[in-house]
Amino acid sequence: MKKVLNPTTQPWLTLLARLILAGVLLAAGWIKAMKPSEAAASVRVYEVLPVNIANTFGYILPWIEIGIALLLIVGIWTRWSSIAAGALMVLFVIAIAQAWARKLPINCGCFGNGGITADGKVHAWTYATEIIRDIGLILLSIFITCFPNGKFALDNGTKNNENGGER
Amino acid sequence: MAASSNKGSNGKGDKTTRNLVVGMILLVVVAGAGAALASNHAVKSASKPSAVEATDGDGIGFNTSAPVKVDFYEDFQCPHCRDFEAVNNAYINKIITDGKIHAVFHPMSFIGNESVLTAAASACASDQGKFLQMHAALFANQAANENSGIWSNAKLIVLGHSLGIASTKYDECINNGQYLNWTKNVEDYAGKANINSTPTVLINGKPVPQNTYLNSAAFQAAFSSAGVK
Repeated sequence: MKKVLNPTTQPWLTLLARLILAGVLLAAGWIKAMKPSEAAASVRVYEVLPVNIANTFGYILPWIEIGIALLLIVGIWTRWSSIAAGALMVLFVIAIAQAWARKLPINCGCFGNGGITADGKVHAWTYATEIIRDIGLILLSIFITCFPNGKFALDNGTKNNENGGER
Repeated sequence: MAASSNKGSNGKGDKTTRNLVVGMILLVVVAGAGAALASNHAVKSASKPSAVEATDGDGIGFNTSAPVKVDFYEDFQCPHCRDFEAVNNAYINKIITDGKIHAVFHPMSFIGNESVLTAAASACASDQGKFLQMHAALFANQAANENSGIWSNAKLIVLGHSLGIASTKYDECINNGQYLNWTKNVEDYAGKANINSTPTVLINGKPVPQNTYLNSAAFQAAFSSAGVK
């Protein structure tokens, strides 16, 4: 597995993957952190968690995303933070897929079409694009998990960034 | 292989820097999540406008004895609510002033600071008997972009005066932020009532289908089938 990648380019690829994954998490987290009650609604719409727990989770989730993003940017606990980011994306994919299956609109607050428009039509593409985006991010997190050693990481010089699947 | 090449360039990891950064990130996360949890719940001591119905989540009520109860959940910055009001405002205001429905307004504030300010101002106007006028005027004057700075205390006072509010109590109510905490109660109740989008209209607790919101005939049909003639 290691031999597949050029040892000089791989740390740069890991850095790129870290920054993309962190950028998405940071933007998503920050937007929601600024509008906590909308963030709570955006968890409620999936109708997975009981309302009270969904609200609490909605207030906390944006800050967890921001925390993981910051760890990825500075490159601390890179492998574990990318595993956490990937796990979060897996949760999102499951949530979106079940909402799609149950025909739940996943818009929240006031930004309109979230899979089901006012006329009651189901727009598969809205769910699908969200899932495709999240799967892309999952692939990035898998890459970082396999090759956590990257450029400009505070993990460098510690045991936290040795490449390969071995522990 | 790659790991060793990189270690060479960076030397030994600086443990102090690393721990300091971890500490800062942890602080950001804990402080942010803590503040979000602490500031987003009902405030028991909040002062409330006189038309408030405590049993209906501190919503602003009209005609409390009318048999058909209708809840309106809207955010003054929500463009869909503005479109909804453009179609249905005249009808809704008429059945309220005719005493045909028990209306409860829940001015939500999830879109941000100017939603909070406008919701609180609508409560100040309610104390002056001008809620419906203020409600209509806030949607009619909605900005193209949310939180763009058009709603300040000064401008909300001017808007109220343009609707015929003369009492200095209104100005004080806005300048003192009298009902800012009340908006948290409304928001908290809407969250617990699982209101996830605005506008949401409930007739006797049942949601009016969203696909009627921009179709005045279909929207009014929902009311007449509930006995509002």
